[in-house]
Order: sequence, then C-alpha cells, then structure tokens
Amino acid sequence: MNAETGKPDTALARTHRGLARVWIDFETSLMTVPLVSRLHAGKWRRDDYLALLRNLRQQVVEGSRWISRAASNLGTDYEELRTLFIHHAEEEHRDYRMLEDNYVAAGGLREDIVGGEKNIGSEALSGYMYNAASQRDPVGMLGAMFVIEGLGNRIAGPWSKLMAEQLDLPPEATSFFTYHGENDEDHLEMFDRAMEIAVTSDAVGSDIIKHAKVVARLYRLQLEEIDNV
Amino acid sequence: MTYITATGQFLPGDPVPNAEMADYIGRLSDNSERLGKLTLRQNKIRTRHYALEKDGTTRWTVASMLARAAQDALSAAEIDAKSIGFLSTSTTQNDLMVPGLASQVHGELGLPPLEIASQQSVCASSMMALKNAWLQLKAGEHKSAIVGGGEFASRYFRPGFYEGTAALDDDGTLPSDAGFLRWTLSDGAAALIIEDRPAARGLSLRVDWISLRSFADRFGPCMTGGGVRRDDGTMQPWSHHPTIQSAASAGAFQLRQDVDALYRMLPVWMGEFMRLVDEGMIDPDAVDWFCCHYSAHSLREEMIRLATRAGCMIPEDRWFSNLATKGNVGAASIFLILDDLMRSGDLREGQNILLAVPESGQCVMAYAGLTVVGPGEVDTAGEAK
Repeated sequence: MNAETGKPDTALARTHRGLARVWIDFETSLMTVPLVSRLHAGKWRRDDYLALLRNLRQQVVEGSRWISRAASNLGTDYEELRTLFIHHAEEEHRDYRMLEDNYVAAGGLREDIVGGEKNIGSEALSGYMYNAASQRDPVGMLGAMFVIEGLGNRIAGPWSKLMAEQLDLPPEATSFFTYHGENDEDHLEMFDRAMEIAVTSDAVGSDIIKHAKVVARLYRLQLEEIDNV
Repeated sequence: MTYITATGQFLPGDPVPNAEMADYIGRLSDNSERLGKLTLRQNKIRTRHYALEKDGTTRWTVASMLARAAQDALSAAEIDAKSIGFLSTSTTQNDLMVPGLASQVHGELGLPPLEIASQQSVCASSMMALKNAWLQLKAGEHKSAIVGGGEFASRYFRPGFYEGTAALDDDGTLPSDAGFLRWTLSDGAAALIIEDRPAARGLSLRVDWISLRSFADRFGPCMTGGGVRRDDGTMQPWSHHPTIQSAASAGAFQLRQDVDALYRMLPVWMGEFMRLVDEGMIDPDAVDWFCCHYSAHSLREEMIRLATRAGCMIPEDRWFSNLATKGNVGAASIFLILDDLMRSGDLREGQNILLAVPESGQCVMAYAGLTVVGPGEVDTAGEAK
C-alpha cells in the first residue's frame, strides 16, 4: 500500500492490470478478423450469422466440461475456488443448447449444428483448455475464464446490436448473444472473488496472465478459421 | 541529457465564449446549433481562440502563428536564437500542401540556415516533433532546437466550406461526424526550446523518455480530412476524384470524426499506460503533474473509470488541463499545457510530469516523462548528473 495515495500495489493489482492489457489487445485485434471487421462494416449476411453459431457451438459445448475438469484438479488448498468453479460449470453447461435453438430459429438445420465439427482453431482452443485443466491445482485457468467471460460481458452486447441492425432476425434467433450481453455482469463479480482467493503471489498472477494470452490468441484463431474443419 | 529550457505560446485574438462561436465559424442551421450545444456540454470547453475575424477573413496562417509562439519561447530563453540548430514542427493540416510547415516557419522566423523537420499527423504530431528533437540532441547532432505545434482548424468550419457539398442535409445540417469537430477544435500555436543543458536560471524540464505507438493495425481512419469514406469504409483520397470540383462537392475537404471509433480507442490508450506502468517507465504514485491532452471532458471521465478499475489511477488533483479555457488546439495543445504549467509558478524541483497525447486519426498514443530540474542539474562538462 502506498502511504500517500492509499493505492495498493499488490500482486492482485498487477495481475488485474496484466489481464486488462491482454483484454485490450485481444478486443482490438479482433477487428483484424475478416468475420468481425465485416460485421463492423455492416456487411453481414444471414450465412455469416449461421456460420458463427455453428462454429461457436462446437467450442461452447466443451465449456462446462473443462471447467469441471479444472475443478476436479483443485486440491484442498483451493476449496473455495473449487466451489466457484463448480457453480460456474453448472451455470454454463446447457449454454450450447441456446446456440442450437438460435441456429434453427435463424433458418439453419438442427442436424447441421448438432453434428458439426470443431474448426481447426476450436480444436487448438479445446485441446489447450483440457490440457491446462488437467494440471494439478490449475489456478491459471482463471485467465482462460477471464477471456471467455469478457467475451460475454463486453463483446456479446455490441455484437448483438450490430447483428440486429444488419439481419432481420427474430429475438429467439439471437438470445445467446443478448442473454450473455445482459447477464454476465455477476460472472465478473464471481471472477473478482476468485482472483482475490487465487492471486497470492506474482508467480500465480503471471500464470493466470499467460493462460489469458494463450486463450485470447486461440479464440481469435477460432474466428479466423470459421468452417475450416 | 535533453532539457526543455523555455516555452511560449501564441493564441490569436481574444478568448471566444461559447455564445459567440457562431459569430466566427458561421451558422449552418438551427439543428446544427443544437448539436453544437450538445457537443459543448460534453467537451466542457468554455472559451477558445480563433484566427478568423468575424467577417471570415484572417491575417494569420499556421506558419505565422507558430513563428510567433517560437518567438515567445525564444524571448523567454537564455540561448541566442541564431544558435538554434534544429526546427521541428507539427500540425494536422499545413497552410499549403507544398512546401512543408517547417520551411514556412523558418522563413517567418528569419533565422540563419538550420536543420528542419515537418511532422504531420494529428494531435500526436506534437510528440513526434518532440521525439525527433530529443533524439537529435541525444545523438549529439545539435545542441538546441525549437519544437512547436500550430493549428488553424476554424478556417475549414466556415459555411462556405460545406455549402453545395454532399455533407449538408436539405435544411443545412451537418452530420454529427462533421459537426462534432466544428464545435471542438480551435486555433493557436505553442513552442518549446530544447537544449542539451538546463537553463542557468529558473526551472527546466528534463525529458527522460518518450513513447509513441500506432495502432493502425487494428483501427481504420477515424478522424479524416482530404477524402471521402467509401461504402466499404476505406477512404477515397480527394486526388482520386475525376475533377477537383467533384472532390469538393463530395465533401472530400471536410474534417470528420467517427465519434464511436473514438470511444473504442480509449481502452487502447489506457492499455499503453498500463504497459508503461508494468515496464517501470511510469509510477502512477510518483507523478506530480499529469498533463493529458484529451479532446472532451466526457473522454476524461471514461479514462478515469478505466484507470481506476486497473488500479493505476493518478489522483485527479494532479491532473493539469487548460482545455476549458484554451480549447482543443490539436498539435499545439500539449505545448500550450506545458507553457501554462511552466508559467503557473507551481512547479518545484524534483517533481515528475507525465505527458499524454492520444490521437484519434488512426489511433496513436504518446506518453513522455519529464522531471523538473534547477540550474544545479548540470556539471561543467555539460553532462547531466
């Protein structure tokens, strides 16, 4: 704590700052992804929306599973963190069904999205998630969650607005994005609490930041490789 | 080591309050006036200066205003003007397309032959000019330099620059991306004298580091002039129109600002701040004066929100700004701030100053660290302690 300003310069503050930098780089670099820059340029067609849902679903379906696996590898030192992970996994574990219903409401065939394959970016992302979650006391996974939750909290809302402007879609076709845009605020609170428990040193903080960096890059890869299966 | 040993400024005419702005830049429509009031509420600028007279004529150019600011700085300096080795200028839009601004300023100043550099960008061209001079002195190429910035934006805001172009609605209203700048930018110039040693009397500012980064890899043009935005978002330069008249009527010569993109850039500018904190260049707790050139008060509030969340907020009582009284003068602004701070009488030896100059043009962010030093800073060899 700095005596003059009362501002804490702790490992936790440094980690929050590091994550903020990862996020800023991630969010702005998304503009270099053709799918995203075309969305911002007002050029989306319904096929773009269907492709995004179809590709995202193959990754989202794994979300709750890697969080559960991470929870199962958190030892007794991290019991409270494990509780938070389990709650989080429970909240997320049917999310992919919303994507499937949206897909059908937007005019897609259910068998296309349910039977879809991960694109090569989603393969890399999922492979990394399961590997990282399989380590002992995988506290670094908080960095992965930070990026995934940030997508819901900061990106889903603006994207759903842009999609609504460009595509004539009924509300039941866009609920995944509008829901996450509106409802992920409490997830960030959960995340802040988890960070307070977990970041006991700069080493832990660096590990969390590293995980966030990798996931941010692989998530962008997933969007760059739409339909490349 | 490199030091700012004197500063100066030139602001044309008297301060113009909000109620009199339209007497200078003219009136387009009732709706334009209404959007203007809205913009002024957001930027919280109360007075500014215009190089235009009320009848739309002028006796100033960017070059002549910048020369006056340089003379003001030279009159405050110990060094003989004739010994200046380097002149480094900055502006958003030069008076002429050819030749460069520094040539014209040199001509106005009437100094003997010297090295020059004309930096053109938007607000951050000021920091490009400062960094150029800082490196020239560090490299031992010169012992002294004039660094300056000047703007004359109001001349583009007169009704004659919009009438008969595609920009105006049927009732004479400008779209918000063109209207915003009309109520934001104003005129003036400011300059610094940079030397390889501090002044023998009074305070100088040691320039410790300068960081400047472009993020054009992830942002398209945001503040534009000299082109028309195509449907796909790319810019068609004025010179690519079939005739000069068709470029003009398409609105190619108007200044425009994509305000939404401006707000999307804020996190990037703050991210640069966090990078410099993490790399040990900035210690937020040790900054005594935070001189940030922000174009609107609403941007300041957004920055505070972001910085507080990332645990690197510089307390607001250490922010130094003259935006409300001197307006947004683009490339001149950070030098105007420095001159006002130098003349405030509030600087003390050993204090740290942090300069921050974001540029919305295509997203640039510049920061610099300065230390207030007294005459004792230098030893006999001219090397800083």
